[in-house]
Amino acid sequence: MKKEKVYTKIIRTEILFTPLLVVLPFIVGVLLINDWYTRGFSVNNPAFNSELILGIIILVGNIIFDIPFIKSLKALSKKKI
Amino acid sequence: MVKVAEKIKNTKKKINSLDFDAHWYRRVFHAFGVSFLFYYMLPNEDWINLLKIWVPPIIVVIAVVLEILRLKGKISSNHFFGLRLYEKNRIGSYVFFAVAILILLRFFPQEIAIPCILCACLADPIMGEVRHRFGMKYVYVFGFLMCMFFFMVAWYKADVRLMLLVSIVGAFGAVIGETKKFWWLDDDFMIQILPAALLLIIWIIVPYFGFSHPEPIIYQSIMPW
Repeated sequence: MKKEKVYTKIIRTEILFTPLLVVLPFIVGVLLINDWYTRGFSVNNPAFNSELILGIIILVGNIIFDIPFIKSLKALSKKKI
Repeated sequence: MVKVAEKIKNTKKKINSLDFDAHWYRRVFHAFGVSFLFYYMLPNEDWINLLKIWVPPIIVVIAVVLEILRLKGKISSNHFFGLRLYEKNRIGSYVFFAVAILILLRFFPQEIAIPCILCACLADPIMGEVRHRFGMKYVYVFGFLMCMFFFMVAWYKADVRLMLLVSIVGAFGAVIGETKKFWWLDDDFMIQILPAALLLIIWIIVPYFGFSHPEPIIYQSIMPW
């Protein structure tokens, strides 16, 4: 009974941080791509291409881990520990 | 007797599922670190510069205080989800991770800091996943190529020879930093600081060889007012 309480507590902590862990890198990636578009692409300035590449790296890198993480969270919530 | 065996089996299953979950939690926590690159996008305004000076060290101090309280037993380790077993009695790797990012943001040019942060945030968990699925021998090759790619992206505006030198030295430092384990110094710190220290030497001597430093990767935003 006591152990189950501990599990519930740590899972709650995890779920509490999930939106921040998933959404914040996504926002940073989108902001970088937006900056490339507004200050680089639309005025034909190639100096901002680095922001585009970095934005894509951030988005792809995070999606790779976010999908299995959210899947594991869903699986865990179904088990109702 | 059968019921007891069944209960033990179920508990084991639950614990295994928690381990698996903590595994992905650690990976996502690593990848989350790239959010700190937002630091370079902040505009050059007085009040924002003040925030840039104070907020990162405050975050690190909070992490250090929490860690001291955990090690002293004032806060239960159960509140720190994702901690590894060997971190129960030593400083957690998230503190090393945060300290290294703080050092990079404050004391290194972004051309060095950004690829090192990418190595810790993205290459490190991917290398961990490669180790987990395919074994140790693939980690070195895959990790080296991935880190090299990050350094090439960060230095593509520099001379090609300089870009190649930096990406090889940086990737070498990152892979050594990741694979060399110390009990007292975490790989999350080494994967960032070792390549950064090597590249700082190159950064200093580059002008003496007739090369110029590359342009920044991220440009500061401009306030709309």
